[in-house]
Amino acid sequence: MAKLDVKPTRMELLNLKKRVKSAKRGHKLLKDKQDGLMKTFMEIIREAKSTRREVEEKLSGAFKNFMQASSMMLPEMLETALLYPSAKVELAVKTKNVMSVHIPYFDLKQEGDILNYGYLQTSGELDIALGAFQEVFPLLIKLAEIEKQAERLAAELETTRRRVNALEHRLIPDLVETVKFISMKLAEAERSTIVSVMRIKAMIEAQEELANV
Amino acid sequence: MNYSIAIIGNKETILGFKALGLETFNANSSEEATATLFELKKETIEIKGDTKPKYAIIFITEELAMNIKDEDYKKLSLSSLPAIIPVPSSKGATKYGLARIGKMVEQAIGSDIMGA
Repeated sequence: MAKLDVKPTRMELLNLKKRVKSAKRGHKLLKDKQDGLMKTFMEIIREAKSTRREVEEKLSGAFKNFMQASSMMLPEMLETALLYPSAKVELAVKTKNVMSVHIPYFDLKQEGDILNYGYLQTSGELDIALGAFQEVFPLLIKLAEIEKQAERLAAELETTRRRVNALEHRLIPDLVETVKFISMKLAEAERSTIVSVMRIKAMIEAQEELANV
Repeated sequence: MNYSIAIIGNKETILGFKALGLETFNANSSEEATATLFELKKETIEIKGDTKPKYAIIFITEELAMNIKDEDYKKLSLSSLPAIIPVPSSKGATKYGLARIGKMVEQAIGSDIMGA
């Protein structure tokens, strides 16, 4: 704790008292924001973990199928078969405002057929593999949505946490200490004025007594 | 017009996603992937008069994602879109995906209270 570098005047005292008030209010608001964010964040992070586990499991299954398919076919054939996909994916994005953080929601639109190749030179495994990919894909979008939300919230939580801590442990104690310092200084000045007035009064009275004698 | 989805990875991984209609970009090293990410982030489209990033989601294989420099990643993930999401590649899942979530918890709370 360190007191601020200000002159101990009544003016400064008034200003500082105002600042303490607004800092405390800001601290309370930020703390509330932090709690709100934390609540959403914990929900999302739990979901993110389970979704990621699920994705990892299912995707490795899909890749296994795909590997099998590609081992049955010539690499050139495989590439030509998948060269011009007729399937299209598009995303619509909506954002939701959680405690002034905009978090995205994705809406997937799929079009066309994923099996867009001749059956003659491709193996049946490829059909199965692509089907598996198709199945996992919505889950991947979900994962992307949740993880991006978590990422945004984490970044916001970090700054909020820092602000709360800075106010709580730095700014407010400093201000309070400075207020205390100034009020003590002012009281001291007041006492010293009283004492000097009393002394001057005593001196004048002593002189008057001498004159009267 | 809506947003597109892209995937960056090695050949084996992206082929399967190509059939689904994703835009695929081949990259064999993290440097290549980083360069591609920056380029993709720059591309924009117009949606209802607004200029928005073209890609809403960019998937990237975990092997490539884990070696992207932190400072680059920070720059890339700054805005709300695109979402850059690591996915397991054809070589199987690494621990990176879950570790990333743990990192987020650490960033938000100060320590990874969820554990591994």
